Amino acid sequence: MVGWEYPPFKAGGLATHCYGLTRSLPNKNMKVHFYMPKTKQGANSNNPNLKIIEVGESEIFPYDRPDAKEIGGHFFEAVYRYNDLVVSKVMETIKTEGKYDVIHCHDWLTMKAGTKLKKSAGLPLVLTIHSTEYDRSGWIYPNQWFIDIEREGMLNADCIISVSEFTKRVCVEKYGINPNKITVIHNAVYPIEEGQKQKIILFLGRLTIQKGAEFFLKAAQKVKNHEPDSKFVIAGTGDMLPKLITQAINLGLSDQVIFTGRLTDEEVKHIYGISSVYVMPSVSEPFGITALEAISAGTPTIASKTAGFSEAFTNCLRVDFWDTDEMANKIVSLLRYNPLHRTLASEGKREINLFTWDRVAEKTQAVYRGVMQ
Amino acid sequence: MTSVCLYFEVHQPIRLNHFSVFHIGGKNCYSEYFNRKLNEDIFTKVAKKCYLPTNNLLIELIRKYDGRFRVSFSLTGTFVDYCKNFMPEVLDSFKEIFKTGAVDMIEETYYHSLSSLFDELDEFEEQVRMHRDMIADNFNYIPKVFRNTEAIFDNRIAKKASDMGYKGIITEGTEKILGWRSPNYLYKPVNSDIKVLLRNYTLSDDVGFRFSARMWKDWPLTADKYANWMANTQGDLVNLFMDYETFGEHQWTETGIFNFLRYLPEEVFKHEHMDFVTTSTAVERYQTVGEIDVPWAISWADADRDVSTWLGNDMQIACFNELKNLGRQIKEKGDPELIRTWRKLQTSDHLYYCSTKGLADGDVHAYFSPYDGPYDGFINYMNILQDIKHRLK
Repeated sequence: MVGWEYPPFKAGGLATHCYGLTRSLPNKNMKVHFYMPKTKQGANSNNPNLKIIEVGESEIFPYDRPDAKEIGGHFFEAVYRYNDLVVSKVMETIKTEGKYDVIHCHDWLTMKAGTKLKKSAGLPLVLTIHSTEYDRSGWIYPNQWFIDIEREGMLNADCIISVSEFTKRVCVEKYGINPNKITVIHNAVYPIEEGQKQKIILFLGRLTIQKGAEFFLKAAQKVKNHEPDSKFVIAGTGDMLPKLITQAINLGLSDQVIFTGRLTDEEVKHIYGISSVYVMPSVSEPFGITALEAISAGTPTIASKTAGFSEAFTNCLRVDFWDTDEMANKIVSLLRYNPLHRTLASEGKREINLFTWDRVAEKTQAVYRGVMQ
Repeated sequence: MTSVCLYFEVHQPIRLNHFSVFHIGGKNCYSEYFNRKLNEDIFTKVAKKCYLPTNNLLIELIRKYDGRFRVSFSLTGTFVDYCKNFMPEVLDSFKEIFKTGAVDMIEETYYHSLSSLFDELDEFEEQVRMHRDMIADNFNYIPKVFRNTEAIFDNRIAKKASDMGYKGIITEGTEKILGWRSPNYLYKPVNSDIKVLLRNYTLSDDVGFRFSARMWKDWPLTADKYANWMANTQGDLVNLFMDYETFGEHQWTETGIFNFLRYLPEEVFKHEHMDFVTTSTAVERYQTVGEIDVPWAISWADADRDVSTWLGNDMQIACFNELKNLGRQIKEKGDPELIRTWRKLQTSDHLYYCSTKGLADGDVHAYFSPYDGPYDGFINYMNILQDIKHRLK
C-alpha cells in the first residue's frame, strides 16, 4: 500500500483512512507493507503483519494550493521524486521478499508510482479516491495538471474504491471512468469519548475554500441574536484563516468566535466531547470523517447535503452549505430543544457502531480478491 | 356464512410550511403554518390516480351485482375539507357511491387526531361530534360504527365510543390482545357493551403491502386465488381494512390492482357460503364470541402495533405534551381560528413524521414524509407550536 500521510502526521481523511485500514487488515490474515514519505516524528507498527516503510523525505502538504508561479517547480518535483523512490524501493523489496499480490494507492500523490508498478511488476492496481481536484478547489478553477494525473491513475487502476457515491459520480462524470470498476466503501471512525457538554458550536477542519468555514460564520451571526451566550469554535488552520478572522470581526462576532489554530489529537478529542453542535458546511466533501468523529462523541451534527457522509448516515441534520438561514435554524433548534438534541445524540451513537474500520477492511479485502482473480 | 367486510380509510395529512425558529413570534397568520400549495398538489394528484377512478369502479361493481357487493368508508374531516377547497367533484363522487345504499360511513375524529390519548376525553368527544355533524351534513347519515385514528384502541376508548352510542368499533386483530383466538369473529371489550371488529392483518396486508412485491412467494396475487384463501378461512367475518390509497397510489395501476378489485366480487360470489357486508351490517348480524381486555393502547401501525409510531421517542413525546398542554389556554381564549389551527396541528401525521424507528418501518415513514428525516419534522413542528405559545402570552 502506498500512502502519503499517516498519524501522527496528518492533514485529512486520507491519513485517518490509511491508519484504520492498515490496523484492521493485518488482523484478517493479510500482510501489509505501507510505504510513505519519511516524517520527522516517524510512524511505526507493533503488528508483525504490518510493516511501515518510510521513503525519502518530503515537506509537501497535499492540500496546499500551489500558486501559478510554483507550477512545475518544487512542489511537483517533490511528488515525482517521492513516486520514483517508492517504485525503486518496492522493486528492491520484491527482489528480496518476493512479489506482492496487490498494490493499493491513495489519491493523486501516489498514482504515478501505482501506474509504474502495475506496468513494471505486473501487479493489479487498486486505487482509493479520497478527494479529487474538483473537491479541493471547491469546484472553482480546478487545476488541469492534477486532473490529468488523476485521470491517468483512474484509467490504469484495475479497481477504484471511492469513499462515497458522491465521489463515484465525480469519477464517472468528470473523469469518464467506467462505473462498474468503482466500489463505494464509506469511511469509519474510532469512537471518541463524550465530555461535559457546553454551549459550543464547533467547526473543525482545514480552513480552505473547500470546507466552507465562511458559511459557518454567517450562520453564527444569525444564531448570536437568538442565543447570545453561545460560543463558536473554529478549530484548524489553512490559507483562509486571515480572511475568516476579518470576516468574524466585520460580522461583530469577536466575542463569540474562538479561533484555536491547529489542535493536537488530544485537544481535538476534548473539543468534540464538550461541543453541543458540530457543523460541517463543506462546499465539496467526498466523505467527511470529522462528522463521524463528532457524532461518536455524542455531538449532533449538521452537514452539507452533498457531503458523502450525509448519503451514508441517517441520524444527522442536513443543509445546503449556502443556506445559512437554515443552518442557523438548526443550530438554534438543537440548543433550545433538549429532546431533539438527546434523540440525535443517542440515535447517532447507535448508528455510529455500524461504521467500523473492521468493516472497511472487510470490504477492501473483497476488492483485493476481485482484482487478484 | 362467511362475510367479507371491506373497509377503506380515506385521509390526507396536512403538510406544513417551512417554519424556522426565526419565524417564531413574527406577525404570521395561522394559515401560514400550512402548505396549501403542496397539499393541493398532492390531493389533486391522488384524486386523479386513486379517489375518482376507484370510486367509479366501485359504483360500477355495486350496480353490476345489485348492491350485493358492499363496502365501507371512513372519510376524515381534513379529507372532506380538501375536497371542498380543491376538488368538490371528489366529494360528489363519494355522495353518489353512498346513494347506492351498499355503502356504510364510519365515524372517527374530525382531524384524524391523537386526542383519544389526552388525559381528558373532552377534546376527543368534541372532534367525534364534529365528524358526526360533517357526515350528517354531507350524507344525511349517522354512523353506527366508530374507528379511532389508525385504529388506536384501548378499554377507555372502547367505553367512550360505547357511551357515545356506537354499536361497533374497529381495531387491529393482533395476537397481543387475541392470543390464540381468531380475528374473524366479533368480540366485546371487558368494560363496555360494544362489538369490536378486528382487522385480519394478514389478508389485508396481502393487498395493502404485498400486492406488488415480486419477492413474495404468492406474487402475483389474483382475485380467484385471494377469494379461495378467504373461502377457506374459518369464522364469521373476514375484515379487510386498508388505506383507500392502496388503489392507484400505494399500488400503481400498472401492478394490476384495479383489475384485482374488478374481479374480486365475481370470484367471491363463486363461493356460495360467502357474501359482502358493510361494517354496520356486520355488527347487526353477528354476535360476539368472547371478551378482549386492552389496558394499553394498540393500533394497526408499524410492526409494533402500538402507539410508538407517534409516541416512540423523546421528540414525539415533547411535541405531544406541548400540543396537549396548549389546549386549555387556547379554549379559554376562545378564538375560533386559533382552535381550528390547534386542531389541524393535532393530525397524527405530524408526529408520525418525527418517528425514528429503523429498518422496515422507517422506510414506510420515509416514503410518506414530506421532510428530510424525522429531525427536520420535529424542528418544523416544534417551531410552530412555539409560535402559538408565544401568541398566547
